[in-house]
Amino acid sequence: MSVLDDIAVVGVAETEIGKLPGRSAIQLQAEAAVAAVADAGLAKADIDAVFSFSGYSQAMMLHAARVAEYLGLRPELAVVTDVGGPGTHHAALLNAAAAIDAGMCTAALCAYGENGISIRRAGRGRAPGTLTGGEDFEAPYGQIAMITGYALFAQRHMHLYGTTSEQLGAVAVASRHHASLNDNAHKRHPITLADHQASPMISSPLRRLDCSLISDAGGAFVVTSVDRARALGRPFARVLGYGAAVTHHIPSQAPDLDSLGGPTAAARAFERAGLRGADADAVYIHDACTFSVVAGVEALGLCGPGEGGPYAASGALGLGSAHPVNLHGGMLSHGHAGGVFHLLDAVRQLRGAAGRRQVEGAEVAVVHGNGGVFSAFSTMVLGREDP
Amino acid sequence: MSPAESGKPRPDLGDAVAAPYWEAARRGELALPRCDACGLVFAYPRRFCPGCWCGERTWQTMGGGGRLWSFTEVHVAFYDDTWAGDVPYVVAVVELDEGPRLLANLIDSDPARLRIGARVRVTFVDRDENLTLPAFKLAP
Repeated sequence: MSVLDDIAVVGVAETEIGKLPGRSAIQLQAEAAVAAVADAGLAKADIDAVFSFSGYSQAMMLHAARVAEYLGLRPELAVVTDVGGPGTHHAALLNAAAAIDAGMCTAALCAYGENGISIRRAGRGRAPGTLTGGEDFEAPYGQIAMITGYALFAQRHMHLYGTTSEQLGAVAVASRHHASLNDNAHKRHPITLADHQASPMISSPLRRLDCSLISDAGGAFVVTSVDRARALGRPFARVLGYGAAVTHHIPSQAPDLDSLGGPTAAARAFERAGLRGADADAVYIHDACTFSVVAGVEALGLCGPGEGGPYAASGALGLGSAHPVNLHGGMLSHGHAGGVFHLLDAVRQLRGAAGRRQVEGAEVAVVHGNGGVFSAFSTMVLGREDP
Repeated sequence: MSPAESGKPRPDLGDAVAAPYWEAARRGELALPRCDACGLVFAYPRRFCPGCWCGERTWQTMGGGGRLWSFTEVHVAFYDDTWAGDVPYVVAVVELDEGPRLLANLIDSDPARLRIGARVRVTFVDRDENLTLPAFKLAP
């Protein structure tokens, strides 16, 4: 028995996504938070813990207290989690589970969001170089953006396994197709493989359409105990298993592709869930770039090591396949606010609330990916539960 | 160009643990710490050996050769125009013959000839009057 066995996600919400001038990060976080609590069937007075992270475009000290104050909450706990990527939100679940078990809270608000576009235009964005780490030994060489770090791994995967740019393009095309089914996605206009190949090189071998978006957006979810969730009378998502693995911080310190933490995190999560990747009806992979999905499907065991490129090109990522990936459109097409939207859409799928992109009868969803440049991996297996 | 003018990120030259690294680079040498207990040669320099947590090390001059572990040609100046005069530039991870991997720029090399596994040699670039950065180029 683990404290995670008793944890349920009961409400999810996201703001509009795109270029939203005039809406500060805290405002976006609050908009998502209020909507998520309403979606849970709860009220302001029910919330007695806040977990949050400001995102990296304008990192804020004591961010969870800021969210609590802005919303007029006086919780026992207000905790920032910053694992990176999906781990940031998974750590909120882990903390909430422990706090609920300790009797310190009963319903936790988890709020994220940033105005990644507008803050830069306003000249107030976070200074380059402080995000990626490696201030002394990488940034002086122009290793200042996440995407260049990812490019190093994509290049090496191509060298070792023969992965092609066209195979990466298949990830971009599939994500955009899913986004075209999602009215709240930032980029909904369908793209073709030719569009991908014609998009400008950003950091070889990654082109513009290999890169995730930068967005103004907020997302939030509400966590409570399974008993409380049942009392709310609606389907909810229950944690079936969670695993993580941290191998390094900056790219020069990474192990080789065959020893990154993705497969380890996934194996730990699936073992705890008593499931495997092929049991997932909906798969969510933190797609900082297209190559992240190639690495992710390998890590989840949906194909063999090195086979992620051909797997993507086979059409296996799309709605209608056995294990569709990033049905909301991912960060490649839906939006990017600290990667919270993968978890939100996994919950929607399990509640049967995903609209045109719904996987009929989805029972198991997996949210997987990393923070940093393949640095801190985190895998969460979620299951549908009816009241 | 002065540091302030270039605006590029600079290492902390006042960090006592890493100082021998940057001093060696000023002399045109690539030097790394070798753990006195377990013998691990490690990059980047840090207070404790990442292999065994021994705090004692001896600085060792590297041979300067290695192989290209990976690389990317960066075509965009990110965030602002700090790197606008440099694009396209190559960021590489080099595996030194002694084992450690370093991230640095690959310079004076035809990008079309870059292959993972290619032999490279260290060279040095003066960023300004106080800072010399190790870099690599394809071996002839």
